[in-house]
Order: sequence, then structure tokens, then C-alpha cells
Amino acid sequence: MARAFGIINFAGNHIQVEGMQKYRPVGAFSFLGRYRVIDFQISNMSNSGIDHMQVYIRRKPQSLTAHLGTGRHYNINSKRGRLRILYAEMEKGFSIYSTDIASYIENMESIEDEHYPYVIVAPSYMIYTQDYSKLLDDHIASGADITLLYHSVDNAKEFFLNCYTLNLNKQKGLLSIDQNHGNAKNRNIFMDTFIMKKELFIDLVNKAKKTSSMYTLADIVNASVDELDIRGVSHRGYFAAISDFKSYYHANLSLIDFKAAQNLFDDEWPIYTRTNDSCPTQYFDDADVKHSIVSNGCLIEGTIENSIIGRGCTIKKGAVVKNSIILPTAVIGEDVHIENHVVDKHANIIHAKDLTADPDNPGYIRRGDTL
Amino acid sequence: MKQNSMLAMILAGGRGSRLHELTNKVAKPAVSYGGRYRIIDFPLSNCANSGIDVVGVLTQYESILLNSYVAAGRRWGLDAKDSGVFVLPPREKADENLNVYRGTADAISQNIDFIDGYSPDYLLVLSGDHIYKMNYAKMLAEHKAQNAEATIAVIEVPIREASRFGIMNTNETGQIVEFEEKPEHPKSNLASMGIYIFNWKTLRKLLIADMKNPDSNHDFGKDIIPQMLANGDKLYAYKFKGYWKDVGTIDSLWEANMDLLDKNNELDLSDRTWKIYTEDVTSLPQYIGPDAKIRRAFITQGCIIEGEVRNSVLFTGAKVGPGAKIIDSVLMPGAVVEEGAVVTRALVADNVKIGKEAVVGSADSEHIELVSKRVKGVE
Repeated sequence: MARAFGIINFAGNHIQVEGMQKYRPVGAFSFLGRYRVIDFQISNMSNSGIDHMQVYIRRKPQSLTAHLGTGRHYNINSKRGRLRILYAEMEKGFSIYSTDIASYIENMESIEDEHYPYVIVAPSYMIYTQDYSKLLDDHIASGADITLLYHSVDNAKEFFLNCYTLNLNKQKGLLSIDQNHGNAKNRNIFMDTFIMKKELFIDLVNKAKKTSSMYTLADIVNASVDELDIRGVSHRGYFAAISDFKSYYHANLSLIDFKAAQNLFDDEWPIYTRTNDSCPTQYFDDADVKHSIVSNGCLIEGTIENSIIGRGCTIKKGAVVKNSIILPTAVIGEDVHIENHVVDKHANIIHAKDLTADPDNPGYIRRGDTL
Repeated sequence: MKQNSMLAMILAGGRGSRLHELTNKVAKPAVSYGGRYRIIDFPLSNCANSGIDVVGVLTQYESILLNSYVAAGRRWGLDAKDSGVFVLPPREKADENLNVYRGTADAISQNIDFIDGYSPDYLLVLSGDHIYKMNYAKMLAEHKAQNAEATIAVIEVPIREASRFGIMNTNETGQIVEFEEKPEHPKSNLASMGIYIFNWKTLRKLLIADMKNPDSNHDFGKDIIPQMLANGDKLYAYKFKGYWKDVGTIDSLWEANMDLLDKNNELDLSDRTWKIYTEDVTSLPQYIGPDAKIRRAFITQGCIIEGEVRNSVLFTGAKVGPGAKIIDSVLMPGAVVEEGAVVTRALVADNVKIGKEAVVGSADSEHIELVSKRVKGVE
């Protein structure tokens, strides 16, 4: 494509995932056992022919930087291409001052450095596939100043809480950007994806900074509706936002069904990730696995149903794992029954023999915990 | 990471004709094994894990796939500044005609210029078609400690099978006193694994002489080792303990795969301190359907399982349709078994499709059935 560079933004302050986010940003969350959430976005850009990407991180950079590395595994040209990790040395954690705008200001030199006329800004906490090269063509042809990508949903009362929504006129022109407070079923969920000229992006960032220290890119775009031609484009296909713990749990489980997964995965649109060189998974005599997604490197002796098992997990004899997400290298001990849970990385469940939670309020076992 | 005085050369030119259709289009080292690997991943990963930086791979028979496969040295981490995997097929040279590799020793002889370019002290010669995990650095340490001219890795085999191998007869210090190729009446059970460490200067001289010898087979086992013994060179046997398999036939390839189903099997591919590296594919994790039954199986990413899998090994992207049964079998990469089909004691080759309700193989067959062509199902 080579007319745009990509910015992969962190989840803003309106997105809070209890438990897991304490250890890493949402983009680094394990997804479907072998991926990280951010893999989908980076693969979208890579598959769209974007070879310059900037990944912004505002807190807990360890796991993301280790995962992204030089970006070689995302099929980015190793000479011409570049994946930059930009960690803003600003306010720690979820401070009101730690906005995307603040981190663009801090890294303005890197942004100005990119020799592409357009920029595509996309989130690290949402899962979808999108051909940006087509989207950019359409954007240029439309003559709009900014194109925003959205997904129409009918479950906004329960999901996508706190996500931005687009209020559009009949011609798909933007009237306002609001937040989803869960008081209506049907909403146009904003996918935090913007396409515009690089110069306009830089102008908006500077304008936002002058207007308010709390302003985000979405805020300044919202404040510019009267001056700019801003349009929404509807996305089709699988879409999930990891906006809270429940949505993380459901997004994973929703893809166990192979037909549903085919909405997201396409042989022509590979999703890249960092290989761990784990060996295949070994199923023993007593294994009983149904309706599940299993990653490589596991040792399975127990029963697994409607669950996702990450890389290198051990499910011991007599253990039962149901409607759960087991993150990489966790151990589920003998005769442990676990239902409706997310078990974080390296957790070791030996003594707690019955862990059952309400499916509407799934349980969480902390990273590295021994129970 | 400049550290190495030992360069490795992997002999990967052989066809492996007893693997029949599996090696029609690829050389034996490129044959798939263990769910997600190719056989040559083992010596290459062993080199990487042993701290060897430069590996030459000698290819000859049907080498297109093998050449492109091993050229991507980064799969094994062999792509740092002073590191690399180099594909070395026979080539035309200024002063002589293009010659195929006439034997294992000749393959090295024809690449003396390549090896000289790195001026190594030691040369490690390996086979590209054996399955095992071995730390060559330990073998080199032993080679140095013994002050040997050559060290040959050996493994103890049952004495009744010893006549199938090249047998090393050693004295009490481990020095090799005699080498016998497939002896009728073996005097020892120490079989050569085809893994040699040579002092490069010594070997270089021997190879140059061997190239000019019209009576030579240009083979390490038949010519070079006997010559060294005749010259009174110090040759040591390095005893290896652990899993080692030379999969020459369909039965033994099947068996080597089945070995992986045993709990605590000797090869232990899950050992995180000695990983076997391979191609990184972008396929999905394993999808296990609502009516699947899986018992005793070794399954890798990209598989979709809706039927029953028992005592079997499934390779990348293998698919088992609803109601299909895979028993005591191996499905190679991309093999598809459609609805209701039954596969028993069979090895289904890469990308082969077994149609609806077809029946392949049988529980009481003497040999494993190789399925290398599409089997039609009920329409």
C-alpha cells in the first residue's frame, strides 16, 4: 500500500479489564490460546501492505515488547519495514493525563518522520479483520477528511460498555462521538479506527493539546464535526472489543464454534504471532476433550469441555475444565473441577478442588497463583 | 556470538527409496515427522542448541523443497552475523566437470573450499535423516579430551540386530580398533550413528587423497574410517544414550511417530531446555468439535477434529470429519479424512483426502498401509 503508516493505540482510560490488566496492557492478553489480542491488528496492517507501524504503550511494557520484538514474525519487510514500540514516559497507569494525545505529543518526532501522506490509527484492544488498503482507497475516493470505522451491534446493553459510539446522519456523516452506557440495544460501536492525512492528524493532536490536557483523539475529532467532513464506514465480519473482563471471556468462548471462527479467520488473511516452538499436544488415555480450542505443548489427561487451553498447559487426571479459558502454562491439578473461569498464566491449581462461578460473572485466578 | 571452532556438515542427499511415494518428490530429510517437524529439524536444532553457528547442508536428490526449507536459517536461530545454514548442492567448478556427489565423503570433498572459508579446527559430519537429540558440544569436549583424530558417536543396539549396522569394536578405553560394516557375526553391539567429529586438517588430507583414488567408494564408513584405522589414527567411540531412530521404511516411520504417544517417552519433545525448532506456520490452534473423541494422541495446530482419534499422530492441518475414525494411524500435514471414513494402521501422506465413509487399512495387517493417493468415498 505504502501510502499510509499505522499507529496502534493503547486502550484509553474508559477501558478497564479487572484482574488481567493489572499485569499487562489489553493488547498483550492471550487470545484463543496461541495469540495475543494485538496480533490481529498488526496482522491487519501487515496484510494490508503497511510496513511502518508504531505501537504505543503507556504502562507495563514488558510482555508486549517481548512479544512484538522486531516484528519479524508479522511478515514485515526486515529492511524497508519497521515496527516501532513507543513507550510514553509520562504519568503512570491510568492517570487522567495519560492520554493518547499526550503520548503522540511526546513522540511527535517519530510521527513527523514517517514519509507517508496518510495515517491509519487503530486500537490494540479490539479484534477484527479489515483490509486497510481498500478502506484507504475508499477514503480517498470519498473526499472526506476523516473516515471512522464502526460496527453496528444489537447487544450494546450488555456488551461494549464504555466503548465509543458513532452518532451518524443518514449519509453516514458524523454528528457526534458518544459513549455506550448500555441503555440501548442497537448502537454503532466505534472501532477506534481513524483514517486521515498525516498533516491533519498532527494538527488535531496539537489542537487537542491546546484545548484540554484530558482530550483524546476521539474527543478532538468529536469537537471538530462542524469544521471537518467526517464519515463513518460500517465494518462487516467478526468484531469484539475487550472492554471489560466479561467481554474478554465471551470473545474467547464465542470463537470455539468453528463456524463462528470462520467469520474471523481466512486462509488469505493470516494472523501472525510469535512462535514459541512448543511441540504438539499430547492427549493421554484418560483424556476427554470436546468442543474446545487447544494450543500446542499441552499435556492432557483430564476432561475439557467448551474451553480454551493455552500453550503448554497441563490438565491432570480427573480434572474437569468447563466453559473456561486457561492461559499458557497453567496447571490444573488432579480431580480439580473448574467451571466458568479464566485462569491466568503460570497459575497452579492443586488444592482448590471445586472452582465454579456464575457464567454471567466468570471467576478469575490470578497470574502465577497457587490455589 | 563468535565462539565456534567446529563447523557442521549435514548429509541430506539421500532419497530413502524404501519410504516409497513419500520420497517421490522430497528427499528423506524433508519427510514430515512428529506432528509438526521435518526430520532434518532434529540435526539442525541439535546444532543450534549445541552452539554451532555454521551448518552446511549437502543436498542432491529432489532438493527443491529441502533447499528452500533449510535456507531459512532463522527457523533454528542460525541467522546471526557469523552464523548461517548453507545449502550445498553439487556445482560446476572452473577446472572440472559437474559431478554428482559420488558418496558421503565425496560430498564433503567437493566442498573443501566452503569449509576452508571458515578455517575450522573441527568438522562435524551428520546425517540429515536421523531422529534424536544430542549435544554435540559434549561430544567435541570428549574428542578433545581423548586427543583423537576422529570421534564417532555410537549407540548400543540389541546384539541380534547388530548385523544391520556399521559396528565399532573398541578396546577398554573406548578407542576403536576395528570397524565392520553390517557384519554377519558382530563382535560388539556398538552401532555407528553416522555422526563424526574430525580434526579438519587430518580429514582434509585424507579427502584429497580419496578423491583421486579410482577404487574408492568415497564413503566415510567404507573408505575414510578404514583408511584412518590403517594409518593408525586415534579413533574414539562416543557412547550416546537416548532415543535415536533411522526411519528407513514406512513401518519404522509409523513406529517412530507412535513412540511419541508413550508417557515419558525418551525423545521428550516437550523438554524446554532442548527444543526442536521448525517452520512457523500461521494456522489456527486445534479445533476440537462437540462430538469429538480423543484418546492417546499427538495432535498439532491447524487440526480440526470432529470425529474419533485413537492412538494416532496428526500433523499440521489434518482434518477428521464427523463420525470418522482414526485408529493406530498417522495423518501427515493437510491429510483430510471425511465424514464416516475409517482409517486403521495406516499412514496417510501429505494432503491426501480419504472420502466419505471410505475404509482404509486394517487392524491385523502385517505392515502399515501407506495411503498416498486420494481414496474416493461414497458420493
